[in-house]
Amino acid sequence: MRGMSLLLSVGAAVLAGSAPAYAAWQPQKPIEFVATAGPGGGTDNLARAVQNIITKYKLTEQPIVVVNKGGGSGAEGYVYGKASAGDPYKVIFGTSNAWQQPLVSKVAFNYTDLTPIAAMAQDEFLLWVKQDAPYKTAGDYLKAAASGEFKMGGAQSKDTDEVLTRMIEKVGHVKLTYIPFKSGAEAAVQLAGGHLDSHVNNPSESLGQWRGGTQRPLCVFSPKHLPQGPKITATEGWSDVPTCVEQGLDIKQYEQPRTVWLPGKVSPEQAAYYVDLMKKVQATPEWKDYIEKTSQVDTFLTGAEFDKFIKEDLDHVRQVASEQGWLVK
Amino acid sequence: MISRRALELATAILTGSFGVAVVVQSLDNGIGWSSAGVEAGTFPFLTGVIIVAGSLYNLVRGVVPTASLANVPVAITSIELRRLAGLFVPAAIFVAAIPLLGMYVASAAYVFAVLAIPRHQSLLHSAVTAAATALALYVVFERMFQVSLPHGALAAALGF
Amino acid sequence: MDNLSELLHGFTIAVTVPHLALMATGVLLGILVGVLPGLGAPNGVSLLLPLTFGMQPVSAIILLSSMYWGALFGGSVTSILFNIPGEPSSVATTFDGYPMARDGRPTTALATAFGSAAFGALVGVILITFLASWVAQVALAFGPPEYFAVYFLAFASFVGMGGAAPIKTVVALAIGFAIAAIGIDTVSGSVRLTMGIDELVKGVNFVVAVMGLFGIGELLVAVEEEFHARAVSSKIDWREVFRAVGRLPRHGVALLRSAAIGCWMGITPGGPTAASFMSYGIARRFSRRGRYFGTGEVEGIISPETADHAAGTSALLPMLSLGIPGSATAAVMMGGLMIWGLNPGPMLFVDQKDFVWGLIASMYVGNIVAVALVLLTVPVFAALMRIPFVVIAPLIVIICVVGAYSVSNSYLDVVIMLGFGIVGYLFKKLFYPLAPLVLAIVIGDKAEDAFRQSMLMSKGSLGIFFANKLVTCLVVAGIALLLLPLVLQLARPFRKNAAPATETPAQEKVII
Repeated sequence: MRGMSLLLSVGAAVLAGSAPAYAAWQPQKPIEFVATAGPGGGTDNLARAVQNIITKYKLTEQPIVVVNKGGGSGAEGYVYGKASAGDPYKVIFGTSNAWQQPLVSKVAFNYTDLTPIAAMAQDEFLLWVKQDAPYKTAGDYLKAAASGEFKMGGAQSKDTDEVLTRMIEKVGHVKLTYIPFKSGAEAAVQLAGGHLDSHVNNPSESLGQWRGGTQRPLCVFSPKHLPQGPKITATEGWSDVPTCVEQGLDIKQYEQPRTVWLPGKVSPEQAAYYVDLMKKVQATPEWKDYIEKTSQVDTFLTGAEFDKFIKEDLDHVRQVASEQGWLVK
Repeated sequence: MISRRALELATAILTGSFGVAVVVQSLDNGIGWSSAGVEAGTFPFLTGVIIVAGSLYNLVRGVVPTASLANVPVAITSIELRRLAGLFVPAAIFVAAIPLLGMYVASAAYVFAVLAIPRHQSLLHSAVTAAATALALYVVFERMFQVSLPHGALAAALGF
Repeated sequence: MDNLSELLHGFTIAVTVPHLALMATGVLLGILVGVLPGLGAPNGVSLLLPLTFGMQPVSAIILLSSMYWGALFGGSVTSILFNIPGEPSSVATTFDGYPMARDGRPTTALATAFGSAAFGALVGVILITFLASWVAQVALAFGPPEYFAVYFLAFASFVGMGGAAPIKTVVALAIGFAIAAIGIDTVSGSVRLTMGIDELVKGVNFVVAVMGLFGIGELLVAVEEEFHARAVSSKIDWREVFRAVGRLPRHGVALLRSAAIGCWMGITPGGPTAASFMSYGIARRFSRRGRYFGTGEVEGIISPETADHAAGTSALLPMLSLGIPGSATAAVMMGGLMIWGLNPGPMLFVDQKDFVWGLIASMYVGNIVAVALVLLTVPVFAALMRIPFVVIAPLIVIICVVGAYSVSNSYLDVVIMLGFGIVGYLFKKLFYPLAPLVLAIVIGDKAEDAFRQSMLMSKGSLGIFFANKLVTCLVVAGIALLLLPLVLQLARPFRKNAAPATETPAQEKVII
């Protein structure tokens, strides 16, 4: 799957490179990349990595400027995208909160106000505990959690981390106290200090902590082991982390896509231009380097595939949110 | 001419109405304790109540004259008021003109107007200062730091 | 003394011609972004970040951290000259820096600020050099209740003092808290206090508020009272730069105390802004000339500047050793570390010795380069005060407008900034204190988050604030600082009869 999409994108890049007539629409003025996160956040890093690759390979004649609009957990950027309807010079970089946030809080946008371009990378989730915690598997963790109320940390409220926490509660028949922090990095430090019992960070958010021996992953919420990579600690790498299903925590798959959008009401040619541009970006060695260093999984969903992904995720989150009573009235 | 009392009253009413808005809005977020901890509206509600109560106190204190020496009757004389307006009104017009003219044209026009119209500087001098300001903004923001300042509806209509 | 030999090794990496050139470039760019309000160090660093992808990590971090030093210094310039703080952490510098500059002593004010800032930064680096591992352990002990206690302490040290009419202080403080609450709430994820304006979901940025309250507000006060007539007389004087720096050791106590506060707040989650406020508040309370604070006191400049830089420097340590950024700029640099293929965290000090010690050595050298460059610019900046008011006033308006806009490319912010200008003018005119308002905007929501996180952990019991020694000490110290002025007030009639009991206009002027 991964190899195939890569092949496809390389093919597309070659095609587009050799036949300029293929692209019906070309940008005529500077392009603005809107990162729905503050400087230094995962989404910001993605936007800047893409900007860097486009500039390096001169994939467009026009200059690209990255603008941070991370206020309101990203809502600022999406609202801005909604307000720029019809403007093909604003590219919005976000996550799944483009469709999740409107479900649970009264923000003035919905993902339908935007034109989906692609989902470019998937961040995995893992269940982390403190290094010296007595449990070795997710099963042990659930047993211990059943007898005492565990504190689970995560980034933001009613967002991906809390949704996953509530899923664990339901599947594992336990009760967890969820404590929201501003970011996953903050939750990781709180776990290292022993103020929390666990969190569900992405690999990149806790990599340094794992290597430093303050915390370790119990399992990954993925159908199969993560791809082989360099060892993180003396003995283990990402591929050695068992899946949660193997350990008796029956959540097969939970991932956070990095998504790219245009404002609403742009023409199909304009959207096609950016789909193509992102495919070219993905075919570069710099992109692979970025994916590896941030421990993400390379994917490329666009068009009907992307729509289907959104629909499925939305149904799922809506179910969790309605069970928790989070849905906005 | 504006009296100190009138100014105190106006400010107390301003802060008080902000407080009322805060109280009303925070009711939407829920007040008190729920299964998700302290509810989101609790603290804004409390601060809103404090603002309203404090503003009422200031309002009363502003109306009732006290022995305090600070209570000079006149706060802003008419001459001072004219000076204030001379600064603030052009600034407000400048801000209002940005969506139409864009930052560069609006700021150049603003600098030119406040220097040339009251004859603080010669026309040429004013024009040079105005042009230099717009150019410096362009070079520093648009070029060096890649911050795109608004170009305005006019520029968009002309196709920039 | 393992660290010492590591440090010497670090110097061999940092003190090379290309690295010194990078430092100078970084510092100069930093001064520029620092001077321009609204740009600020985080923006500057994130713009340079893509350029560093091809560099050696150690060269890249030297460039970025030098830019950070430059921006920290540059942020004080507009605070002192025009009462426009370019960075949140230089707000407290305006309290005495601006009155001193307005009195015709801009050179003294700038040189004092830079000199004490450099001292603070050096103390911060020395702390990092010798106590890195210990400091990392201390930082880990801070959970939500301890975070809350630190913020509480910062408030208590600054707000609890007499001076302005108490009810006006309370109103200003509460308004600050309410403004801080606008936007998305971290703990519940719900949207608060947007007043029907969709875009306010992002919250009100501190820089927008401050540019209006201080920049425009002060401009209005100045034009009304024709203050500016005096400032024109300032002249360029190189010798005054050195004299001002030479006078610093006389304020040794203030320097050391402020550096200690700064380091403490940099390691704990308080950060540079809270550090500078707290240091100013404590200096005003304990200095013999405390009641002249706000009129252009030297110690009123030294205290916030030293603490700001000590905190800004030591804030890089939690970033390296724990992966938590102590400031917005540190957050951007952390993003950089990841992209360079380094992972901030406890192992960085073991895995990447060259990088870590090269960086620490560059902090010593970079700060020296920065202070030398910035002292050279003092007379140039001071000369800005000689530009006639009629010319500088519209330029200040434009700086505020562009600054407010460039925070998040939003026109709404410009309008809000202008509104804050009117509020700033009214508050100044009627002696509502601005400092508590600003402090509440900066750390109000963080304090609220920490409180509510603690309540979640304890299931609603306040006992969590007395659950261990650390948090108990912090809370007790905060309460003591809050009550101290009351106790002094009660004790005063017994000690001295001559103390003036009534408000006089002269006294009110002192209040910020």
